[in-house]
Amino acid sequence: MDFKLLVRFQDVHLRYGSGPDVLHQVNLTLAPGSFHFMVGPSGAGKSSLLRLMYLAHRPSSGRLSIFGRDVSQQDRKELTMLRRRIGIIFQDFRLLDHLTALENVALPLTITGQSLDKVRRNVSELLSWVGLADYLDAKPPTLSGGQQQRVAIARAVIARPSLLLADEPTGNLDDKIAERLLFLFEELNKRGTTIVVASHNEGLVNRFNHPVFKIVNGEVRLIRSEQSSPAAPTAGSV
Amino acid sequence: MFGNRNDVPLDRDASSRFLPWLIAMMVYLATMSLVIALTMNKLANRWDQGLSSSLTIQVPSEPSVEKRSTLEQQLKTFIVKIESLDNVSQVELLNDTELNKLMEPWLGKDILLHDLPIPYLISIELDSSSAQTIDEIKLLLSQDIPSASVDDHQRWLGNLLGLTKIIQIIALLVVVLVGGAAALMVILVTRMGLAIHRQVVELFHHMGAHDSYIASRFQFHALKLSIVGGLSGLLLAGITVASFSSLLGQANSAILPTLTFTAGEWGLLLLMPLSASLIAMMTARLTVLRSLALMP
Repeated sequence: MDFKLLVRFQDVHLRYGSGPDVLHQVNLTLAPGSFHFMVGPSGAGKSSLLRLMYLAHRPSSGRLSIFGRDVSQQDRKELTMLRRRIGIIFQDFRLLDHLTALENVALPLTITGQSLDKVRRNVSELLSWVGLADYLDAKPPTLSGGQQQRVAIARAVIARPSLLLADEPTGNLDDKIAERLLFLFEELNKRGTTIVVASHNEGLVNRFNHPVFKIVNGEVRLIRSEQSSPAAPTAGSV
Repeated sequence: MFGNRNDVPLDRDASSRFLPWLIAMMVYLATMSLVIALTMNKLANRWDQGLSSSLTIQVPSEPSVEKRSTLEQQLKTFIVKIESLDNVSQVELLNDTELNKLMEPWLGKDILLHDLPIPYLISIELDSSSAQTIDEIKLLLSQDIPSASVDDHQRWLGNLLGLTKIIQIIALLVVVLVGGAAALMVILVTRMGLAIHRQVVELFHHMGAHDSYIASRFQFHALKLSIVGGLSGLLLAGITVASFSSLLGQANSAILPTLTFTAGEWGLLLLMPLSASLIAMMTARLTVLRSLALMP
């Protein structure tokens, strides 16, 4: 087992129930601190691949290692501890409408038993960092789509995850805001977080200098490595 | 330790509105069944104590005056012997007035007892129920007045006590069934809650929440609702018992039960809402844990 790899897929297949393979013979590796894009048309299997990475499913066959641990060998409690090292940004944000922005962001900490009062300062600082200092007590339905997305990002990174997975985070944004969001991910990546961003917007992805996996009909191929990528875009901030 | 207890918005579910009512009805039924079981137990004890420590001796009358006089002499001797026994508190040969009173419902007033072969009746009261004393009395009777018979009320008392036992068992069975029905109801409501909040539950699971953390949201919700329902049910049962107690008091009958309870029995009745709450809490917890166990 290579402990230097954060994620390792070896001949992984995934099917739901008795249906056909959604992912077919996937072989890929992610090094710690790397930044990868995952592209492909809708329904190609991007979300399924991410679901395997955030341990929502176990592979139907093959071997998947996360943080050097073989997922199929881990019991449920061990998987729970692994999940705490993974941040997820869902396409539909999945914010809890009855909680404030601050409570939503604090969730990954409060579910581990930390009291909201203790983590309030850290959460407030993070919300300020994503430009929502004035919206700590706002509930998601009162926020714009972009603001909700930033709350979702803050929630995904509050527990300082080693691996950050984003499923179509730019899906509902115009190109300029989407690009700024990806710069924000680059900032996080510079701080050591391994990042995987799934997107169907290949034009946007091509503006960044990161390896790209393409998924077509459940098969994953590395279509661009860092060295062969186009010129890096100008850095910016969200 | 428990984070934000409102992070799963269960309070907004429809189940939150009807679960307390259902629990209230269940606790009401269970409490009333327990009241019946306790009352039957008391009634049986009262009958048992009242009748098993008393017996009646029946001596057939003699047709001739002469023989009757001899028999009455034998009865007096027998009564003296019985009175000397341990554990016998009272022996009484029923006089004509008392016999008339007993026969009145069947034969009417102004009966001439000596024209009818009415038997002599001796009522014996014991300090406490004792098979040994009864056996001694029976032995003396067979020696002194062989024609007499003893009625120690055991036959009909046995039937009566059997009946009260059956009622008690049925009442306790109702308590158990009500507990089972309450558990099934909570399972249904919890599954409904899991279905409604599936996305939130999955989100917590993906963020690394332990199963017990997610289960605690549902178990405390069920506990809260069942405490409200349980106390309401107990209050309703209390009102019903008080009303019945007042009615029974007005009836002033020796055969009817009284609805008064000891401290221990009150404790048992108070256990009903507490048990309902614990059943609801544990059922909700186990239902969620079983459901989560299906997730990787």
